[in-house]
Amino acid sequence: MAVAKPESGPREVVEEYPDIKVRITVNGVEREVMVKPYERLIDVLRYKLGLLSVKEGCGRGECGTCVVIMDGHLVPSCMVLAIRANGREVVTLEGLAPEGMIHAVQKAFLDTLGVQCGFCFPGVILATKWLLDRNPDPSDEEIKDALGGQLCRCGSYLRFVEAVKLAAKYIKEGRTYFDVEDVKKELYLRG
Amino acid sequence: MINILRFNVYIPSSLEDALEFLKREGVEAAPMAGGTDLLVLMRDGVKRPRKVLDLWPLRRELAFVKRGDGWVRIGALTTIEELNASGLARDRRYLGFMDAYKQFGAPYLRAIATVGGNIGTAHPLSDVVILLLALDAEVRLVSVDGERWVPLSKLFRGKRETVLTPTELITEVRFKETPKGSSTVLLKFDRRWGHSMGYVIVGAYMHLDGGRIADVRLAFDSMGEPYPGRAFKTEDFLKGKEFRSEVISEACSNVLPREMRRIDDYRASAEYRLDLSKVLMKRALLKIKSRIEGGEAYGGS
Repeated sequence: MAVAKPESGPREVVEEYPDIKVRITVNGVEREVMVKPYERLIDVLRYKLGLLSVKEGCGRGECGTCVVIMDGHLVPSCMVLAIRANGREVVTLEGLAPEGMIHAVQKAFLDTLGVQCGFCFPGVILATKWLLDRNPDPSDEEIKDALGGQLCRCGSYLRFVEAVKLAAKYIKEGRTYFDVEDVKKELYLRG
Repeated sequence: MINILRFNVYIPSSLEDALEFLKREGVEAAPMAGGTDLLVLMRDGVKRPRKVLDLWPLRRELAFVKRGDGWVRIGALTTIEELNASGLARDRRYLGFMDAYKQFGAPYLRAIATVGGNIGTAHPLSDVVILLLALDAEVRLVSVDGERWVPLSKLFRGKRETVLTPTELITEVRFKETPKGSSTVLLKFDRRWGHSMGYVIVGAYMHLDGGRIADVRLAFDSMGEPYPGRAFKTEDFLKGKEFRSEVISEACSNVLPREMRRIDDYRASAEYRLDLSKVLMKRALLKIKSRIEGGEAYGGS
């Protein structure tokens, strides 16, 4: 209920915001979260569920850093209220591959050195995954359209196209997942 | 965690429920379709509604593209993605929707931005609205007290202002099926391809009968007012004339500037905008002609 403050001057109304229970299937696991009506999906995923791959770039649907796949649609999680995700299925970068494995898209971006600083990458990889789910053999034009909303300050755009094609090739060959240890050895990665 | 702004959300169970809510709280509430514009405005503090009416649950009723009885009807909550998936743009006459789709933001915005939201937010640089304007669309406004159809060309009153009362909702937009031998186009001139607002946007519809312009409608992002408008005088000049380069040139360089007033701002000068408008209008008409004649289906601006 709205409660008016008794002081004179501009009347401030103190509004109460109820907690709303939402059920979201995140990366295959059903989670029940209490959210405020004004909270966005990114707030829930990043700060309540600890999925740190979901990053807030611009917060206004322009940069594509926070995108997640919701019911097969690529959506910016900063532009979707958490209550709208109720009963829906959300996939973030963490859910792309089983424990100890990485997805073909991730491998392809490592192979082509498409990743520079890596900030924009959760979004880029999800957009690629979304594209390849709908279109296993995209043309250059289709790749550019699908990744057109992913801003990369390092300017790896040309390598994006290369990487998406390589990922498509891997998936077509049936190599959807790669063992992390093997990839580390192959690419001389530490850590 | 950045809280855009604190607000309560009302989740309606049906369209009637939503309309009842607006009747009770209309002035303090903001209806939200896709939210791609409203959430940004709220983040910037431009709009500070105490309550938000979530329209997403109404998609069961209001997300559709239907054709029949000589009309094309598009539900207000149809997303840009669904509009494209409906196959409307596969019809050569409505290729303009393909232009609008390709130039519309990014894939992740197309998944949540809606046709009704684009109309309701009344931003002058909305591609879909300009195309619908060229198709002479009308908008269905519904409130508890009844409904009315308003032509899109009479809907806007200012930048982000429409004739909607706080109790009304946009539920549908419709336009008459266009005759054979006609087509549409949407051209935008921009700093970069897609994902940003254009300097000049033109939406055009033309019906060619033999070599004669039987009907033509031209919509620009602005004719002088801060909202999209039609170039009525230029249309009148072109109607009934032969489609020849002298006629088109005359219309672009002499008739259009007489009725169009452009503004100077930090993005572009009025002179530049007017010049672009002339060029884009010419390109639009030529492109429609080639579309009618079965030429290229789709190409950039």
